[in-house]
Formats: sequence, C-alpha cells, structure tokens
Amino acid sequence: MSTVALPRSERTGFRLLREPALMIPIVGAGVLIYLAVLPLFMLVYGSFEKEIAPREFVVTLENYVNAYASPYTYSTFVNSIIFATGSAALTFLLGTMLAWLTERTNTPLRSLFVPIAVVPLILPGVLESIAWIFLLSPKFGYLNVALQSLFGLESPPFNVFSLPGMIWVHSVGQVPLAFLLMVAAFKSMDPSLEESAMMSGANTWQTFHRVTFRLLMPTTASVLLILFVRTLESFETPALIGIPARIYVYTSEIYLAFNEYPPDYGRGAALAVGLLLLSAIGVWLYTRSTGESKKYQTVTGKAFRPRQFDLGPWKWVGFSFLMVYFVFVVLMPFLVLFWASFLPFFATPGWDALDKLSFDNYRYLVGFRPFWDALQNSIILATSTATVAMILTSLIAWIVYKSRLPGSWLLDFLAFIPITVPGIVMGMALILLYVAFPLPIYGTIWLLMIAYVTRYMPYGMRAASGAIVQIHSELEEAASASGASWWETFKRVTLPLLRPGIAAGWIYICIVSFREFSTSVLLATGESRVLSILLFTMFEQGQVTVVAAIGMLMILVLLIIVGIFYRISGRFGIQT
Amino acid sequence: MRKCSLVLFAAWLFLVFGALTGRVNAQSLDEIHKAAVKEGGTLNFYGTLAQVNAERILPVFEKRFPGIKVNHVDATSDKLVARAVTEARGGRTLADVLQIPLENVSQAYDQKLLLETKLPESAAYPEGMKGSFWTASDLQFFVAAWNTNLVKKEEEPKSYDDFLHPRWKGRLIAEPRDLEMLLAFAKYRFKSDEKAIEFWKKIAAQNVEFHKGHSQLAELLVAGQAAACLTCYSHHYPSRIKKGAPLNYMLTEGVASINATAIFKDAPHPKTALLFARWIASEEGQKVMAKGGRTPAHPKVEPVDKTRTEKIYAISVADLKEFPKYEKIWKEIFRLR
Repeated sequence: MSTVALPRSERTGFRLLREPALMIPIVGAGVLIYLAVLPLFMLVYGSFEKEIAPREFVVTLENYVNAYASPYTYSTFVNSIIFATGSAALTFLLGTMLAWLTERTNTPLRSLFVPIAVVPLILPGVLESIAWIFLLSPKFGYLNVALQSLFGLESPPFNVFSLPGMIWVHSVGQVPLAFLLMVAAFKSMDPSLEESAMMSGANTWQTFHRVTFRLLMPTTASVLLILFVRTLESFETPALIGIPARIYVYTSEIYLAFNEYPPDYGRGAALAVGLLLLSAIGVWLYTRSTGESKKYQTVTGKAFRPRQFDLGPWKWVGFSFLMVYFVFVVLMPFLVLFWASFLPFFATPGWDALDKLSFDNYRYLVGFRPFWDALQNSIILATSTATVAMILTSLIAWIVYKSRLPGSWLLDFLAFIPITVPGIVMGMALILLYVAFPLPIYGTIWLLMIAYVTRYMPYGMRAASGAIVQIHSELEEAASASGASWWETFKRVTLPLLRPGIAAGWIYICIVSFREFSTSVLLATGESRVLSILLFTMFEQGQVTVVAAIGMLMILVLLIIVGIFYRISGRFGIQT
Repeated sequence: MRKCSLVLFAAWLFLVFGALTGRVNAQSLDEIHKAAVKEGGTLNFYGTLAQVNAERILPVFEKRFPGIKVNHVDATSDKLVARAVTEARGGRTLADVLQIPLENVSQAYDQKLLLETKLPESAAYPEGMKGSFWTASDLQFFVAAWNTNLVKKEEEPKSYDDFLHPRWKGRLIAEPRDLEMLLAFAKYRFKSDEKAIEFWKKIAAQNVEFHKGHSQLAELLVAGQAAACLTCYSHHYPSRIKKGAPLNYMLTEGVASINATAIFKDAPHPKTALLFARWIASEEGQKVMAKGGRTPAHPKVEPVDKTRTEKIYAISVADLKEFPKYEKIWKEIFRLR
C-alpha cells in the first residue's frame, strides 16, 4: 500500500487540512508550473508582441515573418543543421572509438585512458572555445604556427573561425558524454552473440561490423540524437567563435536579437519558439527511441563479462590513437591556457616569450574585485542551486513514485519539461517574465538560481527517482505502521536511504551550475555576474591572458568539487 | 542702440534663467554626497569603460565619496542600450548613469530613457561637447595601429593613404561597426562622399578582416592575427606598449568621437547619479579620466597618454543624424551584415 494511506476515520471533512501530505502534490504542481511553464508561456506571448513606440505594444504575427522569412533565415537554418549534424557525427565517432578501444579491445594501457577521457568534462565550454582559439586561430594559433614552421607551409592549415572549426571545438567538448554513453552500451553487451559469430568463422572486423555494430544501432541512434539536440542548444562555441566569424546559428541569432540595438524581443522570441520546438521534437524522439530499445535487449540475467577483441598488431594503432587523443584533445587546451596565464599579452610561442612569463595576471586577480564578486556568486549559486534542486526533486520524485496519488504523473511530466528548453531560450523567457515581475529579483543572483534550478530539475529528478524506486515500500509501511507520520517516515526512513542518489545528483548539479553559460549570458549583469560571464566579457575586452588565469583558477575550484565528491562518495556508497 | 539693449536684455534673461535652473544642481558635491549615501550608497553604472581604465577611475570615485559603491555593468555599447531598453520595457529602471559613445546615448534618449538636465560643470565645455541630456566624458580617437614584428620600420604608415599599397593586402583588421571612419572621411578629410566611398572601396579590396570590439582588435594585433588595424582606439595602445607589446600606432590623423555621460530619467539612485555625472564632468573627475588612460573632454585637462592625433576629424553632434545613411554605405562597401 502507499505511504499516505490514511486511517479511514480521517477521510472525511477537511481532508486537506488534516493531512498535509495531500497538500504536497498540489503545492508541488504549483511550484513546477511556476518554474517550468510560466516562463514558456511568457515566451510564446512575447513572440506575438511588437513594440511600435517605446513601451507600446501590439499583438501581431509580424515577428514570425521577420524571424522566418528574412534573407538570413535560410543561412541560419543551414548553419545550425550543419553545425549540429557535424558535431553529433564527430563527437559520436570519437566517443565510440575511445569507448570501444578502452572497453572492448586489448589496447595497451587502455584502463588508464578511461578517466582521462572524462577529464574534459570539467573544462567549461567558454574556456574550451578560448583554448582552441589560442591553438587554431589562423594567424597566431600555436598549432598553426608550429605546423607552418615545421613543414614550411605558405598558409595556416587550420582556421578555427569557420564552420568546421566550430564543429571541432564543440565536438571535443562533448566527447566525454558520448564516451560515457557508449561505454555503458559496450559494457552491457552479451558476448555470446559475438562469440557465435567468431565460432562460425568470422574475423574480428566481420564480427564487429556484422554483430557488434548492429547490436549498437539503437543506442547509436539515440546517442546521435541527443548530441544533435545538445549542439543545437549550445551557445559557447557559437558565441566565441561563430559570432566573430559571422557564422550565425539559432542560439546566436536569439542572443543578438536581444543584445543589439534596437533589441527585437519579438523576433528573438519567435526564433526561440522555433528552437524550442526543434529541441522538443528531438527529446521526444529520444525518449521514444530509448523506450523501444527493449527489442535489442542484450542484458539478461546471465552473469557475463564482455569479451575483448584481440587487435593483434593493430593494438598499437589503437594505442597511438589514444595517445594522440590524449595529447592533442585533452592536454593541449589545458597547457595552452596554463601557458597563456603567465603571459602579459598573447604572443606566439618562442624563446623571447620566456622572459615575459610572470605571475602578474594572478597578482592582478588578487586585487581585482569583479573576479572575487563573480567567484563568490558562482560558488553561492552552484551550492544553493544544487541544494534547492535536490530537495525539490526528491520530494517530487517521492510523490510520483511512492504516493500513488491521482495525477502524480503530471508532476513527473512538468519536472521533465525544462530538458527541452535550450539555455538561451530559458534566459530569454525569464527576462520577459521577471523584468516586469512584482518580485524584485531581476538583476540579482536569485533570478539566476531560479533559472538554474529550473534547467537542472530534470537531472535532479533522474538522480532522485533512480534512488527512490529502489526503496521497497515495506520499509516505509513499517514506519507508518509503527505510528510515524508521513513527515517522520520521509525524514527518518526515506531520506537516509535516498542519500547516495541525492548526493550524486547534488554534485552533478553543482558542477554544471558552476560552469553554466548560455542562460547566464542574458541574465547576469553587474553585481550578479558569474565566472563564466566574466570570462566572456573580459575575453571580448581583450584581456585574454587574465582570462586564462581566471580559467585556471576556475578549473582548480571544479577539481576541488570533484575531489570532495570522490572523498565522500565512499562514505555515502555512491557508485561512480 | 536698440539692438544693443536687446542683446543686453537677452544676456540678462539668459543669466537669470541659468541661475534659476543652475540652482537645482548648484549644491556642492559634498551636499549631494550626503543625500547619495542616504539613497543606499549604490551607483548602477552602465558604461563601456574597459576594465583596464575602469579599475583606475571608479575606485577613485568610491574613495572620494565614501559610502558609495559603484556597480559597473560593462558590455559593448549596443548591449548596454539594449539592456536598458529591455528593463524599461518591464517598467523598471535599474541603471543610474549611462556612459557610452554619444550615438548610443542618443538611442537611449530616443527611447525616452534619459533625463534632461544641465550640470553646472558643463559650463566649462564648448558647444558640441554637451547637450540637453548629456555631457562629454572623454574623446576617443580611431587611429591606425600595427604590429612592429610584422611591419618593417620603413613600411610604417604615415597616413591612411599608405594602406592602399598592395603590401597590406590580406593583412588588415577593423571593427565592423566603425562607420564613423567613412562619415568623418567624407565630411572632414575628403569633404566629398564620392571620394570617401572610393577610398574605402579601395581599402575593402585589400580584404579587410572584421572583428567586433576594439579591445579585442588590439589584442589580436598583439598576437599577430593581422599586421595592422584600421579602426583601433588610440587609448588602447600606450598601456600595452608599456608592457612590452610589439605595437605602434599612427598619430598623424584620426577620427574623434565623443563618449558621453547621461543620467537615467527614472534612476533608482538619482542623487548618486547626479553626483557621479557632475564629478566625472568636473576638472577633478576629468583628471582622473586622463590618469585612467582616456582622452579627457574637458578643455582644460590634457591627456596623460599620447592619444590625440595631429589632424583630427571630429564627429559632430549634427553628424549623428546621418549615421544611418553612412552605416548603410559602410556595410555595402565591406559587405557586412
């Protein structure tokens, strides 16, 4: 039976007043509608409004005409599709190669590369883009300069300020995600199917091609889809590389509609509604495809360990691939930022640069107030967002999965909505809502917190509900049978059991909030500025070497968070 | 005789009127300071001052007027105006003071966001350096600059005409929004639209690369992204050269434009806003501006760094109306969006 089974005698009269447990779903639904639905409503409403004179509006369809029938509509659409498709494909390819080599082959030292492949996850997208500008900028990029002098090339081999450049930079930032998803897929494959193929005379390649690859098809489709959607929603690379290169995608068009004079919210909102629909379709297809993947189930009750492919002499090719990936994709962006953080201004590498190295940038930061304000904001936001989001989502997950109250599926749905909302769209919707809101939080970090909590609620839900469904209701029933109220039961039985799942969710949300960029870029101003935005504005202002120094400190803070996580994960029994 | 007395009468009227309107603002800065602290002691400053300048200017203000903290919202000028407009749209003014290029200040004025006021300090400024809703805060000079590692001593440009030489092809950068260059060349250098357009078309044929933000242009130049920059700010160079950056810039000719300070009509801290606007327009404030690396607008204050060019093509207030016209041509010449 459910936990909120009430004694029959009380099921009359003012039920709501007598049993506060019943209030929770209603309040929960209210909070969720407020967080997830209201901003979107404002966005859609705003997309039909046009300002004809200062502060005078009319309702019109003109915004949609401006947004979708302008001379730029086509190029923006094509750029976005190329950017998203290219990134999804490249990310998937790299992620799968890494996952396969480390999980399923006998490549030397492969287990060492597993954590290394995940490391870029902590590099914030803004820094990733900046690092690659340092490396691949046509004239001064270190890689270009090095290759040109090594091979005596006339022109630089790479240009980061191009669509391929954007695809590359965005992809290498996303590879850890593809890697983790594919590792999970490889781990759960029953080797007997592959063994049968081998027994029937197939060689390694044929087995991979005919069996392994086909078994992976549904995962492939869903991973590609999620990568596609995430690229479409991303703004870091479009902002730092796309806008200077004048290659515009949807997110940068939305940003510019808000940040150029005269600001055109109507057009911005109309574009945002389009992007929202695209992303919602993507997420819907994704949930459908993962739902249908049962057909291709490979995990059974049998105990098994995936078998390893013997690559023979090819294992050294695999090893070289891993090394090249490690050196060029993981290490170099860190190194170039580290190096630049000691320079007075960005200079091409050379012996003369050596005597310019100093701690000046770090010394400068000590007395640089905006840095400390932003650091403080980022830390407060990351921890408070994680805390609020986890409390909210564990309560909601408990209602959804345990209470069996009518309509609780609605809560699940409401809490899932924000996953379809791109960060920049969320920022725009919240501006439209809160700039005229009676609550004076516009321009403060509390608006950012509301934005982050809303955006990361779906992740919190996943962590919390994963933990909750594992708790057998017998335990809670025992508590309520012993006379505990719903709140005591929740506090003394459910919550302690949930702790590992909640802690994992807390850390994850803490990290993503600390790095958040695409929502903050519209919402953070002056005193509510966070680190990622400080990096962006200072980079725009040309203080690139100070930016590198801030970046190094930011990475340090993230490493500390991750370090704490590993320390406590043992205590809470979190599986990493 | 009659004419003379009419002039005298007019002068008298002017004085009386000036004294009456001036009275509102004639309180001493220290009196306003007290009122400003009572307002909450915060100044929301929407300004394009780059961090390198801001950190040498705003703290001086905070020190001079204890109890007041400057909340500097910094972004490019169009972003700042867009933000103020957005906020007004929600029926809320968060900004107290705006300090950005004059053409953007007048955009904010068009949106009915700014206060009409006459600061006592503005009396010291010549016409053309003040208006009904603004006072010049500093001047900025668009000049040419180059990377000394990439440009030989004998090839250093002496005037803009030198950039027509084939050796600059594919080696130039500029800011996409600097239509001031075209306007000033048309009105003050060539005194002819056709000649100016022809000149910039020839420059366009050199394949100019565009990057947004003048600070970033300077940084790209240091890094060697291009050999020379056509529309850089002169005040960005002295500090970088001091640090040892391989840079030099051309002071023979350049385009001057006005940065202006204005107060928001519904500023949440009106006294604090007034205090800042008056202080930055005063000789004292202007000296701080100069020390902070900017080119002061006050006629009595000299810049500290070498930022003023010999020949100056100054954009006037009247020119602002023609911005859209020249913007269109500028974009066509360089095929900008």
